[in-house]
Amino acid sequence: MEIRSYADYLRSLDDAALIALFESRSDLTSPVPSDIASLAVRASSIPSLVRAVDSLNKWQLQVLEAAAVLSEPFSEKELLQHTDKSAKFALAALVDRALIYLGHDGYRIPNNLRDVLGNEIAGLGTPAGKKLKLKDLESAPAASKKVLDAMVWGPPRGAVADVKKSNPGLKWLLDEGFVSPVNQQTVVLHREVALHLRGNKVHRELFTTQPELIGRTVEAKSLQLAAISNVTTFLRWIEEVLNFWGQQPPMALKAGGIGVRDLRELSQHLGVDTDCTSFIIEIAYISGLLTIDPDDRVLPTHQFDIWLAQPASVKWENLISAWLITSRLSGLDAAPMGPELDRSTASIIRKKLLSLLDSAENFSPTHESLLAAIQWNLTYRRTRGIPEEYIRWISREAEWLGVTGQGALSTYGQLVLAGDDLAVIDADLPKTVDHILIQSDNTAIAPGPLEHEVSQELDLIADIESRGAATVFRFSEASLRRGLDHGRTGEEILAFLKKTSKTPVPQPLEYLIGDISKKHGKLRVGNASSFIRCEDTALITQIIKDKKVEALGLRRIAPEVLICTHDAHDAMNILRAAGYLPAAEDSQGLLLSGPRIQRAQTKARPPRIVGEFEQPVREILEIAVRTIRTGEKSSAKQSTLRDISQEALGTLPRTTANETLELLTRHLSENPTKSLSIGYADNNGLVSHRIIDPLKISSGSLMARDHATGEVLTFRIPRITGVATL
Amino acid sequence: MSDGPLIVQSDKTLLLDIDHPLSVECRRAIAPFAELERAPEHMHTYRLTNLGLWNARAAGHDAEMVIDTLIKYSRYAVPHALLIDVAEQMSRYGRLRLEADPIHGLILVTTDTAVLEEVIRAKKIAPLLGVRIDNETVAVHPSQRGAIKQSLLRLGWPAEDFAGYVDGQAHPIELKQDGWKIREYQEHAAEGFWHGGSGVVVLPCGAGKTIVGAAAMAHAQATTLILVTNTVAARQWRDELLKRTSLTEDEIGEYSGSKKEIRPVTIATYQVMTKKKNGVYSHLDLFDSHDWGLIIYDEVHLLPAPIFRFTADIQSRRRLGLTATLVREDGMEGEVFSLIGPKRFDVPWKEIEAQGYIAPAECIEVRVNLTEAERLAYATAEPEERYRYCATTRTKRDVVQELVSLHAKEQILVIGQYLDQLDDLGETLGCPVIQGSTPQKVREELFQSFRTGEISCLVVSKVANFSIDLPEATIAIQVSGAFGSRQEEAQRLGRVLRPKADGRGARFYSVVSRDTIDQDFAQNRQRFLAEQGYSYTIIDADDVFQGKI
Repeated sequence: MEIRSYADYLRSLDDAALIALFESRSDLTSPVPSDIASLAVRASSIPSLVRAVDSLNKWQLQVLEAAAVLSEPFSEKELLQHTDKSAKFALAALVDRALIYLGHDGYRIPNNLRDVLGNEIAGLGTPAGKKLKLKDLESAPAASKKVLDAMVWGPPRGAVADVKKSNPGLKWLLDEGFVSPVNQQTVVLHREVALHLRGNKVHRELFTTQPELIGRTVEAKSLQLAAISNVTTFLRWIEEVLNFWGQQPPMALKAGGIGVRDLRELSQHLGVDTDCTSFIIEIAYISGLLTIDPDDRVLPTHQFDIWLAQPASVKWENLISAWLITSRLSGLDAAPMGPELDRSTASIIRKKLLSLLDSAENFSPTHESLLAAIQWNLTYRRTRGIPEEYIRWISREAEWLGVTGQGALSTYGQLVLAGDDLAVIDADLPKTVDHILIQSDNTAIAPGPLEHEVSQELDLIADIESRGAATVFRFSEASLRRGLDHGRTGEEILAFLKKTSKTPVPQPLEYLIGDISKKHGKLRVGNASSFIRCEDTALITQIIKDKKVEALGLRRIAPEVLICTHDAHDAMNILRAAGYLPAAEDSQGLLLSGPRIQRAQTKARPPRIVGEFEQPVREILEIAVRTIRTGEKSSAKQSTLRDISQEALGTLPRTTANETLELLTRHLSENPTKSLSIGYADNNGLVSHRIIDPLKISSGSLMARDHATGEVLTFRIPRITGVATL
Repeated sequence: MSDGPLIVQSDKTLLLDIDHPLSVECRRAIAPFAELERAPEHMHTYRLTNLGLWNARAAGHDAEMVIDTLIKYSRYAVPHALLIDVAEQMSRYGRLRLEADPIHGLILVTTDTAVLEEVIRAKKIAPLLGVRIDNETVAVHPSQRGAIKQSLLRLGWPAEDFAGYVDGQAHPIELKQDGWKIREYQEHAAEGFWHGGSGVVVLPCGAGKTIVGAAAMAHAQATTLILVTNTVAARQWRDELLKRTSLTEDEIGEYSGSKKEIRPVTIATYQVMTKKKNGVYSHLDLFDSHDWGLIIYDEVHLLPAPIFRFTADIQSRRRLGLTATLVREDGMEGEVFSLIGPKRFDVPWKEIEAQGYIAPAECIEVRVNLTEAERLAYATAEPEERYRYCATTRTKRDVVQELVSLHAKEQILVIGQYLDQLDDLGETLGCPVIQGSTPQKVREELFQSFRTGEISCLVVSKVANFSIDLPEATIAIQVSGAFGSRQEEAQRLGRVLRPKADGRGARFYSVVSRDTIDQDFAQNRQRFLAEQGYSYTIIDADDVFQGKI
């Protein structure tokens, strides 16, 4: 079968090759195309090509650019000449991805690929379209050489004050046809000329291999220690954050996410900077431990309680697995847990970064070399490469999490990447302790990571003064009161401390607990809407026993005083209905008598609706008339002008877009040098008449030189109302 | 993971487990760069501060040594971020140097032009600088040496001071060790100070700070100005110097309200130095009156503000600060360090006690109940009168009386804040009262007869808070104080800490009214001592009356 098109080529592929193609360009199979023709359309569509190009490494991209610059069909030899011998392998990879295909007469590239690669690929301008005497370049005048030097490596366009009044150097180039004007102020260096001057190479510098990672070797032991310390610290942070917010949940912003104030407060509480705090919040959020509830409160989830009960290895794995796949980047300048932190490239970069670290054992690469290596692997033309800070953020996050220690991949990181069991973490982490040491300065020290239940209880009755592997708690009146507020009694607290402390509880602390629990609850506060008092305790007893006033929800708080859940007005009405004779009292205890006639505060009068307009004064009317007259004159002038151009258009036959396209295509192929007369609708739909020299048709537009301005303009084909040859 | 005595916390505190066999070794290793914050019974808290790290650099320790020490003694993995921070902070020291220059006098030199550019542009520093000499050097006016060092410290670029100290006028001073020997820690303290150039030595009350001062003078071999809190202290210094050094009476002058002698070694009181005449501090000239080689600030935690300012101007003279309690309720501890110099020596009180150089002490808080009538009166008292009211309540008098009779055979000091209360107590107990208005001569006589045992009980006001040396006092009863002042409590305990001839322990009673702000203040007052490992026992006034102590 002779391969005449892209579809033909795809048809010629065997199953293995198709599978390879789908593997490298997975978007082609979702959904699965119905036949090869539709596969060809999909594979050469711009969105799919953009994806495919984005996934290339720097070297593959250079080879592809070189292929796009060559005129089709081209041979492998031609391509290698313009790049490097090793391009052979890159070529094979590009063919695998169907970004280059082998037609019956040589290699070709899919239709839209040049558009995807951009206008001036590798800084090369448009071809001249005619034979140029490239040998003459050697004898170019010095001034022209200077111009060429400036343009040879791109961009191929240069700005000049006025093409018609160009300097002698440029004038020579224009005359020889090496450079052509694009418009009055711009000239372009032709592709053949640039390639010739570049010594038939497309790129100045070839990036054939991934830049080497530079850095230092980290001693295995200190790496391990750093990783353990990072893992423990991070788990502690997560616990700390969620416990903190479990007690005082912040409100999420209207736009979503955590406000700066809450973030700062938390970062102060943790004693780390806000960047790190944001990351901790994000990790808790993406692993489902923290969420925003329907009332916009930020709260730990039930999942957190389950998480807490698990061994460290499972806890850590939970967080890491969420981190590995997330598209969120906490380093971005936006609210954590908010909607603006997602970047589609985040997880791809993360994966690449970790695999690069994995390739060098106990090695901590410098940020610059890591950046260069990642940027070589992931070119991302679409977004102009990967931002430097993403790499910095991800490295930083890996360190916080303990995936790396001192910048090198830790054993835990390796295990995670390999998908292995992480139980080793539990063995490496410091053993938990179940006791504290209470000292006479009212502090208690837990000399190691504290068991969960003990630390929960201590959190309730003491303030944390210092955090780390150990914890320093301080007992104070306020902290003990908090415990009592949470339902502990003084005896319970003391018993707990005696049980937990390895050292005797100092007497002053015992006294402090005793003093506070003695005072706690001495004062009672409750809600009441009104009160009923009477010096006759018998009457009070009668009321409280009276079934008719049960609705009042009365409670006797003193022999002569009842409190009531209704407000004073309702209470009086109910009492009156039950046959009592209550009177109201003001805040000073004075008897109130009801006012006979009621009055409200004076307010602004209500508005009225105006049915008719007021008659304007004579001067205003005169001015109005003058304005209308002036407007009338100017629009009459405009309509005359419109009529004149309409006349010229009238002679043009009106054509549909398809007819126009056909007419133009035929015209371009048969007699491309002749001028055309067209009608063209502008943005407002106003049709004007233009005389043009058509140049080419591409993606629904006609490029043509407009006789009126002498510039090359783009005309959208659907907007051309009619075409006629002159 | 090692099983060391040290736990390094991520907030830069170090917890030292003192029951660990390596704790003594570890304490020595971390002392050069970490500051002792609290020293209670089981775990001592040290803190890594920038100032501490820079001082360690100044004393010749490098970041590697600090990091190695932390890792070596740490029980758990040391947070990596902390190690990086240590290295970073320490590398900031010495990028700027103050040097003496034959042409420009004093210059600021840098090895890192960017840093110099940064500090030159700082608002606080620009006015202190002179002409820019070249890219790396800028002139500094010699009088601004203290100010610029302070500002640079605040900016985080501490300057290494190579300009040195003036030697002052030479004057031979020797320690005269006949029948006594300087203690090891005193020698360490004096040496630590001397090698550091200037700084503060912190030692518990009664641990012999005067000897440290004398040893420093022996190092300096130069004329010395000693600033003390009051005249009694001045005389004590003089007596001690006469006894411990080769100095003779003619060489030591007193500069106080009553005498104005300026001699090779001059002892002046803070009071006279800060006395204003026609709105001018006329006596501050004393600093310039002599080419002093050493200035000693006794009880440096009491340093008054005018002296602060003046001290900034005499940065080229060696300065030694002595104190037991470097806590100030006004939070100016930092100022003391930056003006006098960093802490050169600090040791937990309990450690000195263990060595037998201060008497073991028992602290007891006696809680008295207010009577119903007193409670009511307390509840209705004006807020500013409340403390005075509950601190001077009558019930306290009975308790004090009972305590005094229980310790009838011992030397007792009753200390209080309010004069009418003290007068009342003096009358009840039948013993003399010393207060601000008591003439100097009478004071000394009374103290002397107390020392000899003629009088067994003295009622004193805050004039006896500091520096009064009463070796045989074993019981102190505090009835009221300056609100929540931590250092006052510690200083008062200090009055009974001198080791007793028969090795007896001391007792410190603090009588407090229950359920009043007196009790709240007492809690705050006790913090410093609690942090030094003194555990208070709380007893009820009734226990006293029943003799259950």
